[in-house]
Amino acid sequence: MRALNALARRTLVARPLRSVLTIVGIALGVGVLVAALVLNAGLDAAAEQSAHDQLGRADLRVAAFLESGLSPASVTAMTTTPGVAVVAPELDQRTYPAPNPLAGSGLPVPVTVVGVDPEPDAALHDRPLAGGSPLPADGGNVALVSDALARANGLVVGGTITLNGSAESGPRTFRVSGILAPVPDDPDPAGRSIVVPLQAAQALFSTDAVDLVDLGLARGTSVTSVTAELERRLSVEPYTLTTPDELVARLRAATADFRITIALVAALALFGGAFLIFNTLAMTVAERARDVGLLRAAGMTRRQVTLLVLISAVHLGVAGVALGLAAGVGLAAAVTALGSPGGGALALRELVIPPGGLVLGALLGFGVTVAAALEPALRAARISPVEALTARLDQTTVLRARIRWLSLVFAVVGVAGIALWPSTASGSTGILRPLGVFALMLGVALASPFLVGPLGALVGAVTRPFLPTEERLNRSALTRDRSRTALTVGGLAVALAVLVALGGVAATTRQAAIAWLTDVVPGDALLTAVRPDALDEPQLADLAAGPGVARLSPIGMFAVAVGGLRLDAAAVVGADLLADGRLPLAAGDRATALPALDAGGSVILPASISDRLGIPLGGLLQVLAGRQTVALRVVGIASRTIPGTSGESVLVGWSDATQRLGALGAQYFAVRYVPGQAAAAAAALEPLARADALELAPLQAVEGSIGASVDRLFALLTALALVALIVAGLGIVNTLSMNVLERVRELGFLRAAGLTRRQARRLVMLEAAVLGAVGAIIGVVAGVVAGVILAALGPGIGVAYDPGWWTIALALVGGVGLAVVASAWPAHLAARIEMVRALAHE
Amino acid sequence: MSPILEAREVTKRYRLGAGDVEAVRGVSLAVEPGELVAFMGPSGSGKSTLLHLLGGLDQPTSGDVVLDGALISRLSDDAATKLRREKTGFVFQFFNLLPLLSVWENVALPFTIAGEDARHGDQAAAIRAALASVDLAGKERNRPDQLSAGEQQRVALARALVRRPALLLADEPTGNLDFATGTEILDRLWRSCHEGGQTVVLVTHDAKAAAYADRVFVLHDGSIRDEIQLGRREDHGAAPLIARLASLGL
Ligand SMILES: Nc1ncnc2c1ncn2[C@@H]1O[C@H](COP(=O)(O)OP(=O)(O)O)[C@@H](O)[C@H]1O
Ligand SMILES: [Mg+2]
Repeated sequence: MRALNALARRTLVARPLRSVLTIVGIALGVGVLVAALVLNAGLDAAAEQSAHDQLGRADLRVAAFLESGLSPASVTAMTTTPGVAVVAPELDQRTYPAPNPLAGSGLPVPVTVVGVDPEPDAALHDRPLAGGSPLPADGGNVALVSDALARANGLVVGGTITLNGSAESGPRTFRVSGILAPVPDDPDPAGRSIVVPLQAAQALFSTDAVDLVDLGLARGTSVTSVTAELERRLSVEPYTLTTPDELVARLRAATADFRITIALVAALALFGGAFLIFNTLAMTVAERARDVGLLRAAGMTRRQVTLLVLISAVHLGVAGVALGLAAGVGLAAAVTALGSPGGGALALRELVIPPGGLVLGALLGFGVTVAAALEPALRAARISPVEALTARLDQTTVLRARIRWLSLVFAVVGVAGIALWPSTASGSTGILRPLGVFALMLGVALASPFLVGPLGALVGAVTRPFLPTEERLNRSALTRDRSRTALTVGGLAVALAVLVALGGVAATTRQAAIAWLTDVVPGDALLTAVRPDALDEPQLADLAAGPGVARLSPIGMFAVAVGGLRLDAAAVVGADLLADGRLPLAAGDRATALPALDAGGSVILPASISDRLGIPLGGLLQVLAGRQTVALRVVGIASRTIPGTSGESVLVGWSDATQRLGALGAQYFAVRYVPGQAAAAAAALEPLARADALELAPLQAVEGSIGASVDRLFALLTALALVALIVAGLGIVNTLSMNVLERVRELGFLRAAGLTRRQARRLVMLEAAVLGAVGAIIGVVAGVVAGVILAALGPGIGVAYDPGWWTIALALVGGVGLAVVASAWPAHLAARIEMVRALAHE
Repeated sequence: MSPILEAREVTKRYRLGAGDVEAVRGVSLAVEPGELVAFMGPSGSGKSTLLHLLGGLDQPTSGDVVLDGALISRLSDDAATKLRREKTGFVFQFFNLLPLLSVWENVALPFTIAGEDARHGDQAAAIRAALASVDLAGKERNRPDQLSAGEQQRVALARALVRRPALLLADEPTGNLDFATGTEILDRLWRSCHEGGQTVVLVTHDAKAAAYADRVFVLHDGSIRDEIQLGRREDHGAAPLIARLASLGL
C-alpha cells in the first residue's frame, strides 16, 4: 500500500501542470459549494438575528393591517388579555426634520420616527446607547437619535432636532437625550431613526393610534392560548400576528430563491470539477498504459492497478478539497465583507462557518473525486498487458472517456445535493426549478457527443477559408476521442449555459421590475412622498398648477384583506390612465373599465391575482374593510400592475380607496409635462416639490435605481458562475494538452514534412477555437432554455422572457476566447516538439 | 523430472475485422527446469504471442499451459497474476522501464508490487546483487532516460532477475541493441541459467542469439516447424545452428 502510494504520488508529480489543474478544478468546485453553504448559514443567522432585532424579547407582535393603525381600544383589549405580561405599543412614521444647516441646499432627507412607551419597551427591546441617557419614563419631547442621523445632522446629547408633523400639529422640537448605537436592522432604511416617547409621537402626527404592539407573555402562558384569546377580543380593526419563529421562517423564505440558485450554480461548478478529475485520470491512465502493462506483467493484480489510480485520485482529492475549503470560506468572507448582495432580506451580517457545511462540502468534493476516478481506475485494471506492451498499441483505444459514467456521477451529485442541502423554508416549486435545470444540464452532457461532430464540421466550414491548411490537418482532431471532446465541450457548455441563463433571468427580472412603470404610470416623472399625502392638501393644487405641468395623477399604495389574505392595493385615477393610453388590459374594455374605477365599486386585477384567487372578469372581489365587506366588480384584468410589498396590486378608484377601504393618501404623483416643456417644467417643479417634502425623479431615473438593485443581486451569482467557467477553461487546457501529447508522432512527422512551428501552434489554437465555438453554441441554446425554465416556474411576472442578448454575445465571444487562451500552453507544447525524438520513439 | 513449463495443443486466435488470425496454432512443447530454450522465426510467426501465453500474460483460445504444475491458462486473472509474480520474470524489447522511477526503484518493482519493503534487508541486498550482476552498481539513482539503450535493457534484466524467479521470459531482448551490448545481455541470461539454475525462454529472430540455447524451436505461421537440439555449450558459436537451419531450407 505504501509502495502504491509512492508510485501514485510520483505519477502525479510527473505531470505537475495537469495535477495542479485538476487540484484547482476540484478546489474551485468545492470552493463554490462551501461558499454557498457558508452564505446559506450566514443568511440563516442573519434571519434569526434580524428577527431578534425586530421583535426583541417579545413573544408576539400584533401589527395593524391598515394604515389607520390600531386604536386605543385595541391596545386596552390586549392589556386585559390574560397571560399578557408586557404590552409595548409602537408608532412608526416617516417625516422630515426641519432644514438642516449642515446639509446645505440638497433635498431634505427623511427620518423614521419611532414612538415607544419607555417602560414596557425597555422590557422587550434593547436599544443600546452610544452616549447619553435613555428616554425618561414620564415622556416629554425627548429623543434618542440614531448614530447615522446624529452624524449627518451634527446632533449631540443635549442638542435639539425639529421634526415636521401633521398639518394640525406643525413642527415640534425634541431634545436629544441619547445617541443610539448603530444596529444592523435600523427601522429606517438609511439608518436615520429617532426614538421618542409614544405620546410625543402621537401628538406630532395628530393620532391616537399605534402601528404595532409587542407583547411579552407571562411565564407558563402558551402563545396559542393568547392568540386564541386575542382573536376573540380584537375586533375593531384588522391586524396581523407574528411570532419570532414565524418571522424567522418568513425572512428565510424571502431568500429561498437566491439560495437555491446559489446551490444550483455550486452543483454545476462541482460537476465541472468532477469532469476535470475524470479527464485527468483517464488521460494519465491512457498515457501510462504501457507502464500499467509492464506492472501487470511483473505481477501487479487488477485490484492493485485500480487501487493505484484511486490513490492518485485521493491525493488530488485531499489537496483539492483542502484548498477548496479555504477558498470557499474566503469567498464567503469576501461576499460577507462586501455586505448585502441584494439588500433587504439578503443582508449578510457576519461570517458564519457551519462545521456541518464544511464536512458536507468536503464529503461531496471528495466523493465526487473518487466517484469520477472509479471509471478510469476500473478501465486501467482492464488494460491487457499484452496489448499494452505491443508496438501496435493505439493509446486512444485504451481509454475512452465514458460519458455515461460521468452522467451517473452528475445525477448522484444532484440527488445527494438535494437530499443533503440544508432545507430552507421554500415551497415545492422551489425545488422544481433547480431540478429542471439540473436535468437539462445532464441532457447537455449526454447529448454533446452527438452534437460535437456536426457542429464541429459546421464551425470548421466557417474557418476553412481563413486557415485552409490548418483546418484540413485539424479535421480529425475533434473526433480523435469523441467522448473526451464531448466532455470538454460539455463542461464548457454547462458553464456558459449557467451564465446565459443567469443573464437572461437577470434581464427578465429587470424588465419585470421596471416594466410596470411605463405601463402603469401616466406621466413623465414621479413625485414621491415619504408619508401619504391626503388629496385635499392645498400644496398639491399649487404643484398641479405649476408651469409646464399638464397633469398630476395621484397613486396611493395600501393593503386590503381578501378572504384572510393580505393583498396590495393601489388607488389610481382611471381617467388619467385612459387619457395617457396606459394600462393595457388582457381582458375587459379599457374605455369602460378605467372610468368605472373612478366611478367606484370596481376593481382591475392583475392577471397573477385573478389566477390565484380564481376570480374572472365580471366576478366580484370581496374586500374586508373595517368590520364590513365591500364587493368590487372586476372590470378588467391587466397582465401587469404596480408591484406592492408582496406581489402586484389590485387597482381601485380613489373614491373607493379613501371612503370605503381606508387609504389615507397618495405616496406617488405621476407628473405629465406639457409636450416640449419638460425641462423647464421640471426645473420649476423641483423647488416647489422639495418645499412640500416631495422628491421628483424622472421615470428613467426610477428605472435605473430599480435596475441597479436587480443587477447587484445577480452580480454575485454571476461571479460564482464565472468560477464554473474557469473550471471549464482548465478542462480545455487539459484536453488540448492531451491531444497534443497523443499526436506527438503525427506532429513530429508533420514538422519533418515542413510544418512550421507557427503552423503547429495555430493548429492547436484552431482546434481550441472550434471546441470553444461548439461549446458556446450548445451553451447558449441550453442557457436560454434553462433561463426560460427558471423564469417560467417563478412567480408570475407577466413579461416575455428576455434572453439577455448581451450575455449571449459575451458567452459566444467569451467561450471561443477562453478556449483560445486555454490553448496557449498546449500550443506551446506542440510548437516545441522535437522532431527527431518524436519520430525515434519506438 | 517434470517439466517446469508445458504447452498442450495451444492455439491463439485473434478476431479481426474480415476474418480470424491464428497467431499460434496447436503448439505443444515442454521445457525442463534449468533449460535455455529459444523460439526463432520470422516476424509475425507468432513468437511473442506464444511467449505471452507461456508466461500467463494472455489466455489461449484453446489448449493449456502448465507452469510449474499449475494450469495457468485456466486460472483467474488474479491467480495467474500472483503465479506470474512468484515464478516468472519478463524482459521485453521495448517499454521495459517506468520512466518515472529511478534505476533502483525499477529493479525494486517486483518487491514493491508484492508489498515488500525493498529499502532494507534481504530485498535491498538482492537488488544490489542484481544490479552488480549486470554491472550497474553506482547507477541506482539514475533515471532511465539518463541511461544508454544497453544499460536500460540491463536494468530490465536486473529487475527480471531480482526475485530469482524459476522462469525467465525474454522477448527479443537484444532486438534493439548493437552487437556488443546484445552480447552482454545474452551472456548474463546464459549465466543465470547455467550458474543460477534458472529456466530461460528466449524469443529472437537472430540466429546468433538463439545459438545460446540448449534447444531451438523454429516457428512458422504459428506452429512449430522444427526443433533443433544444440545441447549446453560454453562457446555459443552460431555456426552449428546456422548449418542446421540451412539444412532445413531456412
Ligand atoms: N492483438 C492482436 N490482434 C490481432 N492480431 C494480432 C495481435 N497480436 C498479434 N497478432 C497477429 O498474430 C501474428 C503473430 O504475431 P506476433 O506473435 O507478434 O509475431 P512475432 O512476435 O513472431 O513477430 C501476426 O500476424 C500478428 O499480426
Ligand atoms: Mg514479436
